[in-house]
Amino acid sequence: MPDQVSLYAPGNSGLHHLHPLTKLSLAGFALLAGLTLPGRWGTYLLVALFVLPLAAWGGLAGRLGNAVWRIVLPFAVSVFVIQGLFWTGGTPVLQLGPLSVKAEGISFAIASTGRILTVVTAFLLLILSTRPDALMIALTERGLPPTITYIVLATIQIVPRFQARAQTIMDAQQSRGLRLEGSLIQRGRALIPLVVPLVLGSIVDVEQRAMALEARGFSRPGPKTSYLQLVDSQWQSILRAALIVLSVLAVVGRLALLIIP
Amino acid sequence: MRIHLESVGFAYAPDVVALDGVDLTIEPGERIAILGENGAGKTTLAKHLNGLLKPDSGVVEIGDWSTLEHSPAELAARVGYAFQNPDDQLFERTVRAEVAFGPKNLGLSAGEVDRRVRAVLGLVGLAARADTHPYDLQPTDRKLVALAATLALETPIVVIDEPTTGQDAAGLRVLAAVLDRLEADGRTIIVISHDIDFCSEHLERGVLMADGQVLADGPLAQVLSQTDLLARAAVEQPQMMRLAAALGLEGWPLTVENFIADYERQHRPQGGRP
Amino acid sequence: MIELENVNYRYPASQQPALADITLQIKAGEFVAVVGANGAGKSTLLYALAGFVPHFYGGDFDGRLRVLGHDVAADGPASVVGQVGLVFQDPFNQISGARFTVREEIAFGLENLNVARAQMDERIDRALALAGLEGLGDRSPFALSGGQQQRLALASIVVMEPELLVLDEPTSQLDPVGTRQVFEALDRLTGERGTTIVIAEHKLEWVAAFADRVVVLDDGRIVEDAPPDQALVADETTRPGLGQTRYTRAGRLARQRGLIPADRPLPVTLSQAIEYFS
Repeated sequence: MPDQVSLYAPGNSGLHHLHPLTKLSLAGFALLAGLTLPGRWGTYLLVALFVLPLAAWGGLAGRLGNAVWRIVLPFAVSVFVIQGLFWTGGTPVLQLGPLSVKAEGISFAIASTGRILTVVTAFLLLILSTRPDALMIALTERGLPPTITYIVLATIQIVPRFQARAQTIMDAQQSRGLRLEGSLIQRGRALIPLVVPLVLGSIVDVEQRAMALEARGFSRPGPKTSYLQLVDSQWQSILRAALIVLSVLAVVGRLALLIIP
Repeated sequence: MRIHLESVGFAYAPDVVALDGVDLTIEPGERIAILGENGAGKTTLAKHLNGLLKPDSGVVEIGDWSTLEHSPAELAARVGYAFQNPDDQLFERTVRAEVAFGPKNLGLSAGEVDRRVRAVLGLVGLAARADTHPYDLQPTDRKLVALAATLALETPIVVIDEPTTGQDAAGLRVLAAVLDRLEADGRTIIVISHDIDFCSEHLERGVLMADGQVLADGPLAQVLSQTDLLARAAVEQPQMMRLAAALGLEGWPLTVENFIADYERQHRPQGGRP
Repeated sequence: MIELENVNYRYPASQQPALADITLQIKAGEFVAVVGANGAGKSTLLYALAGFVPHFYGGDFDGRLRVLGHDVAADGPASVVGQVGLVFQDPFNQISGARFTVREEIAFGLENLNVARAQMDERIDRALALAGLEGLGDRSPFALSGGQQQRLALASIVVMEPELLVLDEPTSQLDPVGTRQVFEALDRLTGERGTTIVIAEHKLEWVAAFADRVVVLDDGRIVEDAPPDQALVADETTRPGLGQTRYTRAGRLARQRGLIPADRPLPVTLSQAIEYFS
């Protein structure tokens, strides 16, 4: 059982040492730029020239490539097949027996895949290179309520325990003769002895955890210090501002292109 | 019903070996304590007995069944397993319904289910609370409900995981009564426990484990006399044995009565006989 | 340090009082064990000291309760944050879950208390040493054993340097090694920092060895308040809910058989038993 469900891949690169909000801005910009660039090939260029070098800088190119293989490729294959072969009307460029491959379909598929590629790689770039708690601290410093921070981080670490408990409950009930295979009705009836202990036990746990947090001053009013210190710099500040401006321009520009004939 | 493990090996992951070449034979009616610190493999071993875990190598036989060929639900007719945390299984609205769950799964008649529920609630001293919601009980009483739920299966083999955790004096008396009744009924009892004094007072054979292996297996007093193995397994001797050792008494007393008997044998009574 | 006078408490939707006419004083630096049958009111008394009863649970509370001068029954746990620490049975539920290393987990309380960053490392180091967790600072809290997690819970509270530490059956889920580690950590706390300790426990042989004073509860009332030598030697007919250490039982049996004179006081610990039987 893993300790937590985060995807953070530790490293010592320049990318890893960037302030979390800088990485958030980079990923956000890549995302928005990718979705607003006109044409079909803009996204691929963006990924190749912007996202991939950043990933390589962080030593994460391999992991990124792995994710592209596992997530984007199946999507690409299906969209190419569906749009390429079943595009209504359009100009056929290739004949495969009774079916024909349409140029517009292929064109659409290229654009679609490009967008998915951008979303996935930008998101992963952020998640792989940023500790969840560092990102949460950065956001808290900018005004995010500490309660939300707590909920996000605690969920990451507590989900595996939840899964382990669910397994223990299944074991305990099977040991009393509960059958887990069988018809749909049988399986439906088996749900109650599996779900109720999970819920009731969680309620008991939550009560204890709330008291424990209280005992450690969690709801104490007033400012809080932070053990983890985030390192920021002037140029990162400027970079983040620039990225925000560029992102806005990209969105505005794209909207303008849509409106202006 | 005989339990037979031969060369059992099990790993949770390629580098996490939990059981390593375990051989164990348990005859019907034996009363066994599985001893060892957390991580030694006690619970892993116990879960092999009712098929929750299947051995990677070797065989586990419960009577004439190999656990590889039967689901835990099927094996529940032969091996009852009472888990450590009652909140991992309680889901009914009354104690009565909770305890009836197991027998119902065995397909018994309503009359038989009822008889068993009444008998077992009487044994654990919760007959008066039969219609209470389990979560209205103290946590240690919930543990007794979970134990009762397992006992209601009336299996020839009963495995109990850490029954004494958090129990007070009354709870320990109930557990003693339960073990006495199981013994009287000729059932095989297997208890995993850190409470070495409780084990010494109610069980007869000890299986000492460390790092997935059985370090010692035999009469409890004999196993607990091997201090070097106990040190390896991070298990302490029962209070009376420690006292006897500190006093230089001969013998390996498991209980207060044993100790006094040993003491009496080696000392003249002071101040004249009564 | 702690004053209770005629305290009565009933949980909401309950007919029986959980605490009945409790009058008790505890001085700074004492190591007090609260014992008794389950349901006798041990946890309730401890939660009251930490301000969770009645604040967190509701119910009816009357009587006088002062902890470190605060009226915690009225003001709740927030009034004594950092002064009163509370440790429970289940190690897992006490880990915040929002921190990824042991050091950061311990720092959580200091962050909430707004302690300056510069002072944190030293305090964390002391807490690690006290709880016997040196060298584990960079591990994930979830990669620790049960005993280690319980000591982490202890360290996370102790780092806040509370004057009063309240523990509700902290060794319940631990093996003998883990139990020893917790009691030794508490012994260090009381020795090095003079922390007042109030602990609910069933493991009487440990209580006998470490506590200065034992308060016996029965049905919400205090039925005995005395040093272990006195409080723990009652036999099963006088105190059926309490139990005894085996040493005491052996001592009594020896006395009954005429092996040891009746005027020799019954032992509660191993060392007393050795003396008794020599």
